[in-house]
Amino acid sequence: MHKRLLFAFSSILLLLLAVSCGGGGDKTTELPPGAAPAAGGGPAAPNATATVSGKIAFEGTPPPNEKVQMSSDPYCNMHAKDYPTLETVKVSDGGLENVIIYINNPPNATYPTPTSAVEINQENCHYSPHVFTMQTNQPLKIKNSDATLHNIHAFAEKNPQYNVGQPVKDMVNETKFPNEEMPLPVRCDVHKWMGAFIGVFHHPYHTVSKGGGSYELKLPAGKYEVVAWHEKYGKQTQMVEVMDNGKADLNFTFKADSKPTD
Amino acid sequence: MSSVYEEGENVGLHRFALFTASCTVFLIFVGGLVTSTESGLSVPDWPTTYGWNMFTFPLSKWVGGIFYEHGHRLVASFVGFLTVILAIWTWLKEKRRWVRWLSASALAAVILQGVLGGLTVLFLLPAPISTLHACLAQTFFCLTISLALFTSPGWKRGLPVIKREAESISLQTLCAMTTGAIYLQLILGALMRHTNAGLAIPDFPLAFGRIIPPFTSDKVVIHFAHRMGAVIVAAMIVWTFSRIARFYSDYRLLYRPAMTMLVLVCIQLTLGALTVWTAKAVTPTTAHVATGALVLGTSLLLTLRAYGMVVVKVPANFRGAL
Repeated sequence: MHKRLLFAFSSILLLLLAVSCGGGGDKTTELPPGAAPAAGGGPAAPNATATVSGKIAFEGTPPPNEKVQMSSDPYCNMHAKDYPTLETVKVSDGGLENVIIYINNPPNATYPTPTSAVEINQENCHYSPHVFTMQTNQPLKIKNSDATLHNIHAFAEKNPQYNVGQPVKDMVNETKFPNEEMPLPVRCDVHKWMGAFIGVFHHPYHTVSKGGGSYELKLPAGKYEVVAWHEKYGKQTQMVEVMDNGKADLNFTFKADSKPTD
Repeated sequence: MSSVYEEGENVGLHRFALFTASCTVFLIFVGGLVTSTESGLSVPDWPTTYGWNMFTFPLSKWVGGIFYEHGHRLVASFVGFLTVILAIWTWLKEKRRWVRWLSASALAAVILQGVLGGLTVLFLLPAPISTLHACLAQTFFCLTISLALFTSPGWKRGLPVIKREAESISLQTLCAMTTGAIYLQLILGALMRHTNAGLAIPDFPLAFGRIIPPFTSDKVVIHFAHRMGAVIVAAMIVWTFSRIARFYSDYRLLYRPAMTMLVLVCIQLTLGALTVWTAKAVTPTTAHVATGALVLGTSLLLTLRAYGMVVVKVPANFRGAL
């Protein structure tokens, strides 16, 4: 009786040990397939010959960004001087950077999915870029350039959730997001200060403001609702109308003391 | 008084069960740390850790949130290992069949708990699985406390006989009701933690500056229910303590846990307030989880002892003779 019991308990122990064993740390994981098509079955995408450009101006004194404490990881701590604060509000030449600009009412068309990958890199315990846009089903390459572990965790609501570990330097994973999602926050749960935002659209009419808050959108002729979104200040919307090969200036202004909007 | 088994083995098994229960409190604290530091997904794979066997994961890589999540997995494995030994030991040496089955239940619970912990990581912390994981942790803790009590020499020698006149609500029923209320309150607490409703009402003792808050979301409802639960639990504990202090103060097996429970609930209420006032700072939030477990464990101990003590009901006019 006792031997049988011992055998049963030993089997449970062995099973637990076997389950807890794994291989090396160099796996690549992808989102499950079954992605929705990039766009509805409309006509071919029209030529984007018009240009809408402008500046995302910033009024007032930029609020101080939250300080970053990297001491929980000795590797990251070596780079703490490079990134003393978060990048929430980044202002240069009176312009707000890292603002996603996109249109709300793209022409009904089938937009081809780009085959070239968008890349996000984890470098010096910091996401680069901090904000970017991509199309649905466009490949996203996730790279770890650090000699420490990261997990990249997309807090998706309209796409499958995504959380993958990258324990090895120069490890690359690739994934796709099948559904539009704006914004799609990304975070490293190992290093709480690491955060990024992705705008995923089924069309190609989106961009992110650069230095000085400047941006440029290539659009087909038409009347559009243009949205500017910032992680702290939320959304602003304006209308614009452009002709083929035409140009239009469209500026947005975010104020330091304005309340965030949805 | 017949001994169930050899005295040495008896004490050894009891002490081992006590050690397992103590380690479980520590495990609950470490589990609380994982949630408080939002590190639950810092190790995205399970049962491996970044592809390594969890027991060979290099110490140098325990950085950031990994320290808490991986540490929790190792402490949990250790408690699981202790439970396996406890179950084997009990099955080999314990003559009471129901105690053997209780140890088997503890083993089943700890295995299920491990699987739930893994599933909650793999499914990215869905609230139902995470809440179930938290509740099963408390249930497992109760099982280890029960095993420690039932294997104690004092329990097997037999608890003192108490002579009391009949009460409308017996002490046993009152203690059981208190334990039940605490367990329900812990379920609400777990639900609040895992639905991220801890600051759904940002002020305390008022709620949005009012006594009854506007119920604008499910999170506010859950949070307010937890606060109301705290009032009920505190009242139940005061009632239980008052009963014991008044009629059973000579029985230290009852009085001590009752007093301990009263002190713990005061600490727990303070920690709950601090959790809100500090906007869920890691230390008070985690201590609130662990103290909650201790309140439950103490109440369970009191309840089991109350049931274990033979109460002889005597007529009221005999009271002076007792």
